[in-house]
Amino acid sequence: MTSEEALQQWLALEHEAVWFYATVGGRDAALSATARAAYDAHVAAREDLLERLHKAGVEPTPTALAYGIGVPRTTSDNRKIARGLEARVAAACLTLVGLVEGADRDFATSALRRAALAELTWGGRPSAFPGLPA
Amino acid sequence: MISRRALLGSGAAVVVVAGAGGIAAGTHRLDDVARSVGLKPRAEPVASDDTLIAKAAREQNVLLGLVEAIVARHATLAGGLGPFAQIGQAQVKALGGSDKVPGAPDVASDPARAVGALATAYDTASKARAKDAGRAVSPDLARVLSSMSAGLAQSAQTVGDLR
Repeated sequence: MTSEEALQQWLALEHEAVWFYATVGGRDAALSATARAAYDAHVAAREDLLERLHKAGVEPTPTALAYGIGVPRTTSDNRKIARGLEARVAAACLTLVGLVEGADRDFATSALRRAALAELTWGGRPSAFPGLPA
Repeated sequence: MISRRALLGSGAAVVVVAGAGGIAAGTHRLDDVARSVGLKPRAEPVASDDTLIAKAAREQNVLLGLVEAIVARHATLAGGLGPFAQIGQAQVKALGGSDKVPGAPDVASDPARAVGALATAYDTASKARAKDAGRAVSPDLARVLSSMSAGLAQSAQTVGDLR
């Protein structure tokens, strides 16, 4: 995998996160404030990635027509889906870490940290190695 | 998704090798250990990575020692800090650190202050591992250190909530 492919993989997850948190924020009153904050964070991350890909002369991966993470049902379901989503973002960041150097690696490491902390927001527990499958 | 086994196992020879032989402070000693356990050393061993691993292992070992010292001093925190001891052991093991923790550090008599000091130590370690990740030559080592940094940030936040 190239660094551009890793960025695209990450961007696809940010598209998914923006869709998911917008949906949860609109449908689950118990989570609306947390979902709104998560939505804002993922919109910012998506814009950052879009800018990086544009600067690299790469056509960014578009949003999908649908996402296979199911229709949100209960608050517990939504929290679980959010944890899984943040874990996938962390994994995408970790992939990128090994493909780049310097400021780009620092960028990926910072984003991995954010995703790991976001997992906690949604009820996750600390782990030794976020981004790696358990 | 990167396989945990690949990164912390055979794929990350530079780290695995440290695990097989303990902290290897000598230049390229990791490669000698690799051969001794039948692993193929890296094609171009990098001394700076050896040094990074040894430093990180030493610091993570000190952090684990702090967790264990707090639990020993404040029995009421044993349950809450138990998972953090396990996380610390896993991180030390990945870096090839020794099972023996260093001499017991000073622990505040007030549990809340002790936990606060631990949260600060986790935050410091998280930042140090992030810097180490930026310096690593081996991509696999960079990933291990970066992931560890994120895990330490999680620990800092969660431990801070125990106060």
